[in-house]
Amino acid sequence: MLSAAQRIQSSLSKRTAAGWDTVSIATKVVSIWRDIDAALAPIIGHRGVAALFGRCLHLTRADHAWWTTAHEGTADQIDFAAFQSALSQQTTVNVLAFSAALLQIFVEQLTNLIGVSLTERLLRPVVDIHSTGDAAQETSP
Amino acid sequence: MTAQRAKINRLATGVPGLDDVLGGGLPEYSFNIIAGPPGSGKTTLAHQLMFSLATPKRSAVYFTVLGEPPLKMMRYQQQFDFFDAEKVNSSIRFINLGEDTASGDLDKVLGRITAAVREHEPSLVFVDSFRSVILADNNAGSFTTLQQFIQQLGMLMTTWQATTFLIGEYFAESEPNPVFTVADGLIWMRQCAERNSVVRKLEITKMRGQATTPGLHTFRINATGVQVFAPAPVTAPDEARSSSSPTTNRLSMGVAGLDEMMGGGLPCGYSLLVAGPSGSGKSILAGAFLAAGGRRGETGVIAAFEQRPNKSRGREVSELIGSGAVGVVDTRALNVSVDEISMLLIAEIRRLKATRVVIDSLSGFELALAPTFRADFRESLARMVSALATTGVTVLMTSELEDRYDDLRFSPYGTAFLTDAIIVQRYIEVRSELRRVMAIVKVRASSHSNDLRQFTIDDRGIQIGEKLTDYAGLLGGRPKRDRGQSSRGGAEDG
Repeated sequence: MLSAAQRIQSSLSKRTAAGWDTVSIATKVVSIWRDIDAALAPIIGHRGVAALFGRCLHLTRADHAWWTTAHEGTADQIDFAAFQSALSQQTTVNVLAFSAALLQIFVEQLTNLIGVSLTERLLRPVVDIHSTGDAAQETSP
Repeated sequence: MTAQRAKINRLATGVPGLDDVLGGGLPEYSFNIIAGPPGSGKTTLAHQLMFSLATPKRSAVYFTVLGEPPLKMMRYQQQFDFFDAEKVNSSIRFINLGEDTASGDLDKVLGRITAAVREHEPSLVFVDSFRSVILADNNAGSFTTLQQFIQQLGMLMTTWQATTFLIGEYFAESEPNPVFTVADGLIWMRQCAERNSVVRKLEITKMRGQATTPGLHTFRINATGVQVFAPAPVTAPDEARSSSSPTTNRLSMGVAGLDEMMGGGLPCGYSLLVAGPSGSGKSILAGAFLAAGGRRGETGVIAAFEQRPNKSRGREVSELIGSGAVGVVDTRALNVSVDEISMLLIAEIRRLKATRVVIDSLSGFELALAPTFRADFRESLARMVSALATTGVTVLMTSELEDRYDDLRFSPYGTAFLTDAIIVQRYIEVRSELRRVMAIVKVRASSHSNDLRQFTIDDRGIQIGEKLTDYAGLLGGRPKRDRGQSSRGGAEDG
């Protein structure tokens, strides 16, 4: 069974194959993270989500040299505008690879903390929204 | 006209033993405080209550404040069996109030709680830790503001008909605190240290509308969560036993000749104390008692505090334990209480519908107790024996007896009066040889032999022999030949 990260990533890949440009993909990636924030913040607070997101950016950066700390927001909450801006300046391939790695690491970190079943339970609404639909038929955002 | 009173429903908490202590469950719509110092088990109890009580029709909201970070709380709480991830975000919602609380504005905190209650309409509300709300209050010096906040919160929850739990780190009941005044229920949890032992204790200091069981009740936290050991219910033994005379139904002791000595066996529902020095054969007699039941298809329970229960009482008892006909109460836990063992015994008796119970031995039992319970061992034991009697079982307890030839006693605890029957085993020395003798000291409301009989122990168990008619002063340890003496059995003991 595909993990939450894999299912969302699969959906993003289909969109890339369908010809979406970098800005559209970046917008979609940010909407995924807004939904992750919306799913988790009521439980662990916006600061809690931002702290986990920041840690995952740090871990992801090791394999994606183009990402710099300048792109990272503050500790209070995720700076979605800065995140989208940073992604939009990259190639589609870079955005896709970085997003996949970031999401994978985020799910791994969350799973390390609260286990597989609770992670899947909390992220289920995000997965339901972002892993369904036919990318080819969906209009790019 | 007869007044129609509001009916208070009592919720079954799902926490073993807690409903008994609460007086039948938790009053619905009550406003409760779970108080105690850090590490006392407050958050675990709150989660166990929530996961047990929450259903799709009776949903719960758990507000986390500035205490334990929610991620860590969920990480640790899911280690317990009661944690059901499928309930999260369906019948249970966790809501973080940390950022609102950090502002120190109680109105904002109340606003968030109100909004969440309106949105989710929970039947159960938990605020953890409520102490953090109070400490974060900008107007901490203003008693009125805090009191107003609590009153408004209490009013809100009552209006929304939510059973509410405020979890707070409090250290002393004597703290002047408006929260305690407003609360309908106050559950204190503590860890009590004495010497090297630590025992968890719970007390219901307040529960409006119902009679709780007063006192400090021990509890444990293990993989299943909190388990409270409520005092076993005690009714007068005479009332509890069947209306027919117990002496008409008797159980075989499983030792040839012993039933005759007891006037036909041990009366059903009686408690028997087998007292004797180390190695005299008490455990073997206890094993024979269980085996005799097993041969008749009866089930039994054993709480063994010294020996391995399925090794040292012979092959027959091992087989009965292996087949499940004899249940074993786990006595290996550290710092047990008499209430804990009582509860485990009674649970096992009910599970197996057992008729025979062995406690081997009271001496080992006392050693297994946490130091804090040893001073009350006699009283607690009396309560346990009475509680066991209410189940209708027949109980055999062994007691280590120091061989003191100038002092004839049957139990170091003064517990002899607790039991309906007593068998005493002693060592005597005859011609430079250590021999064993046994006598029936008492069988309540029944005739029995007064003989002091020799007995031996071999591969088949206890073999009762003849009286040493040639000797007198056996219990004094220095028997003398006394030809011409003979015993006339059949005395009656009331």
